[in-house]
Amino acid sequence: MNLERIPNEEKLGLSRRYYLGGFAFLPFLWLVNVLWFFREAFLKPTYTEQPQIKSYVKKSALGLIVWVAVLTTWITIFQHFRAQWGEVGDYLSFTIPLGTA
Amino acid sequence: MNTSDSEEDSYNERSALVQCESPTIPSYNQDHDMSLPQETDTKRRRPVSSGLDEPGPVERERASTPDGEEEELTLKYGAKHVIMLFIPVTLCMVVVVATIKSVSFYTEKTSQRLIYTPFEEDPNSVGQRLLNSILNTMVMISVIVVMTIILVVLYKYRCYKFIHGWLILSSLMLLFWFSFMYLGEVFKTYNVAMDYPTLVMIIWNFGVVGMICIHWKGPLRLQQAYLIVISALMALIFIKYLPEWSAWVILGAISIYDLIAVLCPKGPLRMLVETAQERNEPIFPALIYSSAMVWMVGMADSSNPDSADERQRNEGGALAQEGVESEDDAAQGGRRRYSAEEDLEEDRGVKLGLGDFIFYSVLVGKAATTGGDWNTTLACFVAILIGLCLTLLLLAIFKKALPALPISITFGLVFYFSTDNLVRPFMDSLAAHQYYI
Repeated sequence: MNLERIPNEEKLGLSRRYYLGGFAFLPFLWLVNVLWFFREAFLKPTYTEQPQIKSYVKKSALGLIVWVAVLTTWITIFQHFRAQWGEVGDYLSFTIPLGTA
Repeated sequence: MNTSDSEEDSYNERSALVQCESPTIPSYNQDHDMSLPQETDTKRRRPVSSGLDEPGPVERERASTPDGEEEELTLKYGAKHVIMLFIPVTLCMVVVVATIKSVSFYTEKTSQRLIYTPFEEDPNSVGQRLLNSILNTMVMISVIVVMTIILVVLYKYRCYKFIHGWLILSSLMLLFWFSFMYLGEVFKTYNVAMDYPTLVMIIWNFGVVGMICIHWKGPLRLQQAYLIVISALMALIFIKYLPEWSAWVILGAISIYDLIAVLCPKGPLRMLVETAQERNEPIFPALIYSSAMVWMVGMADSSNPDSADERQRNEGGALAQEGVESEDDAAQGGRRRYSAEEDLEEDRGVKLGLGDFIFYSVLVGKAATTGGDWNTTLACFVAILIGLCLTLLLLAIFKKALPALPISITFGLVFYFSTDNLVRPFMDSLAAHQYYI
């Protein structure tokens, strides 16, 4: 859908829903919110709903950064310590690489 | 001076198909024969006169069609539209071929088959194998016909909830289950360790955002990307689970079915489209790939056009589910939908059904699997694009929805078999003798 063609209230509603939806463990949704509404929020001339859209975009970006940090940390820990964890490591693994310790 | 001036107007409109420009271009009578109850979108609701090429104030451009006719045709689509469809079709095929070449899972033959192809192909006897593949094809096509008819009946009797539920169920399956399988195989191929928590996050995000983009509202590019991805996933499933010869016969049979279903007056797909048109209502969030162009900035006519445009393809559970490939029936060779040029001068672009994407990719994927080398694959790829181009040309001339499968698949099959059996040995023996031409 094209953002140009919908009225501002609908844009606000859409951004809000994307923001709220992201709380269900959906950082990707927050990413989409940021990218899609970035131009609307920051690069367009001001209109009534713009400050709210801006706040949603900012909060989504914040949430996204937090999630990225958490996931990166977890992935690093897992990849590094997987072999040492023995059984727990195997239990957590979806695929186990062959040929390595 | 074309109205289709978008920022990316890098395509020279002075190519073969010239786009008509006219502010009040009458909408062409579209018979959507999108077999799927697809969109009779809100566009239809706009008052459109159904004249055809002769409005007085319309400026016509000289169209130089590929056959060199210098008629004053007001062709609907220009080269831009052709490119807009080439790109997603190419992307889908590239994804499928890349996966086939790298992940061996999709080329390993298992004894497990779809319930739609119950006859086993016995490699020992040619006659028996041929017979079994023809029987398999008949089973598959009859399943598809039945599903299409059920869909038409449901639509006629307004059982919308049922259809919605069915469509949502099948896209859920595609987005979650098939992508889970796909990721698992990719990780195994590249020998990467993956843990369950991360995997669950990835699949969950991918699936939910996909459902949102396809069935509700989302950025156009993301939606297009998702549609390409699910078509590729579906094509991969077909490539894996259809037996060798059956796949080729099925491809041929489906093109013929497509032709019949879309063009015959009593064809199920055509009836679907006509019913939708009569009721003048937008259809389900359908799975049709819409290559909408950039909207002209302007009128704040805000009825939401895109939501109605998608044609939902029902990806029936290919593996074990009851839900049959309604997507097949529906998407049967994408009916090309046609968008009326509204009085707001916005060009909606061309639409192509997802079934088309799938079957094109199946053809190219099978060529990559069994064809042996890249010549065959490339030849099939080129053949399909040529077919698509011709179909678009026909669409621009006839201005009604057309089946997209027959021409491309025919060319693809012809090119595949001839390249495999004629060109390849020729090139091999040239190379063996070090003779360069």
